Amino acid sequence: MAEKILAPLAGKVFKVLVSVGEKVEADDETIIIEAMKMETPVYAPCSGTVKEVKIKEGDTVEEDDVLAVIE
Amino acid sequence: MRPYFEKMPNFGRALKEGQIKRSLENVDLVKKTESEIAEAVEKVKNAGFPTEKINARGQMTVWQRLEYLVDPGTWCPLHTLFNPMDNEIGTTNVFDGIGKISGKWAVIIGFDNKYIAGAWIPGQSENILRATDLSKRLNVPLVWLVNCSGVKLDEQEKFYANRRGSGTTFFRHAELELSGIPVLAGIYGTNPAGGGYQGISPAILFAHKDCNIAVGGGGILSGMSPKGHFDEEGAEQLIAAAKKFKVEPPGSAKIHYDETGFFRYVFDEEKGVLDGLKEFMKDMPAYNPKFFRVAEPKEPTFSSDDIYRLIPMNQKQVYSFDDVLARLVDGSEQMEFRPDYGPEVYTGLCKVDGYLVGCIGNRQGFLAKGYPEYADYSGFGGKLYRQGLVKMNEFVTLCGRDRVPIIWFQDTSGIDVGDIAEKAELLGLGQSLIYSIQQTDVPMMLFVLRKGTAAAHYIMGGPTANRHNAFTLGTAATEIYVMHGETAAVATYSRRLVKEKETGKPLDPVIESMNKLAKQYHDNSRPIYCARYGLVDEVVPMNEMRKYMAAFAGAAYQNPRSICPQHQMLLPRSIKG
Repeated sequence: MAEKILAPLAGKVFKVLVSVGEKVEADDETIIIEAMKMETPVYAPCSGTVKEVKIKEGDTVEEDDVLAVIE
Repeated sequence: MRPYFEKMPNFGRALKEGQIKRSLENVDLVKKTESEIAEAVEKVKNAGFPTEKINARGQMTVWQRLEYLVDPGTWCPLHTLFNPMDNEIGTTNVFDGIGKISGKWAVIIGFDNKYIAGAWIPGQSENILRATDLSKRLNVPLVWLVNCSGVKLDEQEKFYANRRGSGTTFFRHAELELSGIPVLAGIYGTNPAGGGYQGISPAILFAHKDCNIAVGGGGILSGMSPKGHFDEEGAEQLIAAAKKFKVEPPGSAKIHYDETGFFRYVFDEEKGVLDGLKEFMKDMPAYNPKFFRVAEPKEPTFSSDDIYRLIPMNQKQVYSFDDVLARLVDGSEQMEFRPDYGPEVYTGLCKVDGYLVGCIGNRQGFLAKGYPEYADYSGFGGKLYRQGLVKMNEFVTLCGRDRVPIIWFQDTSGIDVGDIAEKAELLGLGQSLIYSIQQTDVPMMLFVLRKGTAAAHYIMGGPTANRHNAFTLGTAATEIYVMHGETAAVATYSRRLVKEKETGKPLDPVIESMNKLAKQYHDNSRPIYCARYGLVDEVVPMNEMRKYMAAFAGAAYQNPRSICPQHQMLLPRSIKG
């Protein structure tokens, strides 16, 4: 089953900490979004393998945009 | 109330592998700053004559006296780097802190006899007033190691007089005594004039056989020069008079033990004075800890060394405050107050060394969607919004009612601003929190974990709470300023930039000024600066934070002026619902 990692807020992608094929645990930091002068980590919603990363560092994202997919 | 407190819900998470890996650089940065602070502390401890020279005179140094006097492992130094008037020696020539003597907590303060025989110097009176205020706030004895040669004459204009000048100490001693707080003094060396009052103003005087206390010194040969100035003839007269002048300093142990009886005890040995203080401290008023403990003391489940990995030096990075707190309190257990309200602030009951304390701290990072509820923008931890302010007001008020001491943790960028925030009454709620703090009568302490900014630094139990804030501690990551330096540079120069642009003038000079101001803010907000000018009372290593919390809780519960029976407390019931 695939689970999407959604942007909790609008901002700029500061760092991508995972890559396709990488295993992650629930609550691991996956992506960091910079907004309001703060770096906000986005956590994995479940354990699994990263199937797809839809953004790259420097991209601008809107709230609820899909950042990555975990399977 | 055993079912409430014996085993409270656990909280905090273990560090993850990725977190450990990513935080390596942060650990190095924190430890580098901590070693710079330790170096500065070592330097001021060694100010003045070397220890060997003092020992060769048959005297112990202030540090040796403190070490002998204080129970091992209990000393929590305060104001070590405090030097608000920029004295060359880097201190105010007194050292103080809280520690146990014969098992009882006390505020302990001593003159540094390595520098001008413990003279009064600029900034010292402010340091002493912090110590007397601390003793009053915690209602614990004040123990002096007096060794004070009086005013450093060539700088007297900076501290001799004034509302909070050197003489204010003696009124504070009287204030403590009127409040039933014992002030004990071990007295060494020559203590004329100001030094004499340092000696006489405490309640019980323990004297070394060679000490003296007196209204004035014996070394002052005559008053003013009859000519109104000094010349060679006058100098020759002075030399002749000084050669003949061989009087013993007035106010010796013989006078003040045999004649006046001011000295309650006289001891032949330096250590004897300290033994006398230790013996007396055994009988100081104190409850047995079991009277107030709500559970057996226990260590946190997680190591306090983890804090080096949790609190980022990079001010833009967020962290879990709950995870930090879980490394500081007994058993990593807590009872959170209103967890579903005001998510930017943690409020809850925790235990430290078996004693109940109220903890309040800023949570960090992006808050839940739709919060704050009054605005169409997203809320971030570190900022304060309506619910958080209401929650803190309620929690502080209930802690006051239940007589629970409060430990504040700040990492705040301020209170939400703008007309929307004004409509949400944030200005009024901030002042309400100040009122709530003021109407309690419980000791409070504060850690500025990272940022102490804007009015939030005031209202979250900051040192401006004065009579309520026992002491404020910083960490290697502490920064205190009205706003971030870059924000200040924008506020100061943005209009100027517009003007220069419109008139075709070069922007470089303005940009240079902006960078200069931002750097000035950075430099003047660092931990050592904060300690030097008293914005914090000490900067402590991250793995020693719990030691200070335990000292605070132990001292606050040693002999409180009022009590709330545990089974009549409201706060735990309010949390349980």
